[in-house]
Amino acid sequence: MKKPLDEKDVAVRAKALFDDSVEQLDAATLSRLNQGRQKALQEVRAGGPAGQWARWVPAGGLAAAAVVAVVVWQGAAVEHSVPEAGNATDFEIMLSEDSLDMLEDLEFYSWIDTGNPDPDSDVG
Amino acid sequence: MNAYAGVFAVSCNREQPEEATTLQREQQLNRFLAGVERRALRFAEIAVRDRDEALDLVQDAMIKLARNYAGQPEEEWTPLFYRILQNGIRDWHRRQMVRKRVMVWFGRTSGPEDDYDPVAQAPDPMGRTPDEQIEARQAMQTLEHAVGDLPARQREAFMLRTFEGLDVAATAVAMGCSEGSVKTHYSRAVHTLREELGEHWQ
Repeated sequence: MKKPLDEKDVAVRAKALFDDSVEQLDAATLSRLNQGRQKALQEVRAGGPAGQWARWVPAGGLAAAAVVAVVVWQGAAVEHSVPEAGNATDFEIMLSEDSLDMLEDLEFYSWIDTGNPDPDSDVG
Repeated sequence: MNAYAGVFAVSCNREQPEEATTLQREQQLNRFLAGVERRALRFAEIAVRDRDEALDLVQDAMIKLARNYAGQPEEEWTPLFYRILQNGIRDWHRRQMVRKRVMVWFGRTSGPEDDYDPVAQAPDPMGRTPDEQIEARQAMQTLEHAVGDLPARQREAFMLRTFEGLDVAATAVAMGCSEGSVKTHYSRAVHTLREELGEHWQ
């Protein structure tokens, strides 16, 4: 009659069965494990000197794109604001009182422009 | 010209040790993973009862270890690796519970256990007779089911201590708990297994 299993026996027997099942793994499974390991090792390569730079490439590209976008946006805003300022100035000139006076004396200025002073004038 | 050559030489000399270190670390990690991957697969397979899922879990654990902990001292890799794997297994079980609830809701109850094949068909490398192989497989199936039916923490403690041979401290790191908890979980697991398997293993 065999003696009942104690806790140590359970552990020893379980370990032996487990080790045996590990040895029984088929080639296809081992191949998939190897593929998984190679993928993991790529992570280490990516963390090397070259890989560290490579990791920053997307972030650098995004930063550069953001800078370009800001510059273009600012440039467009400046270009857009120049005509507005010009138009405002034109309106100010058109609506100023001096300009209206000029319109009222348009006949006088036209006469000055011809360079032919009236012979009846006292001037001269 | 000589000045440029000097700068280039200095630059190269500075990068070479880093590349050598990376290569050395990669070789160390390759050796570690090659040594642990088979046992980790069986470990995960017993926990989730599906080989494909176990392969995915082991691969994820290897990638996470390489990505986040390759720079850690080599002696810390084993508990870290099993901690990552354990977390992956726990997440897998959570997802399965949600999936089962959804399946029950829609009236479908099929699961991965239906087509579970615990030991792949392969020639016996130990040269045993077919009867001996069948006996060993049946014993392993019985053990797998008994271990798989343990509460999660007891199963983790038992597999890490017995199958992986981790000491109490390393098991505590891998499980993310105290050494006292490891001892308690392990003791309860062995007690349960002895009662479950006693009649099969006499």
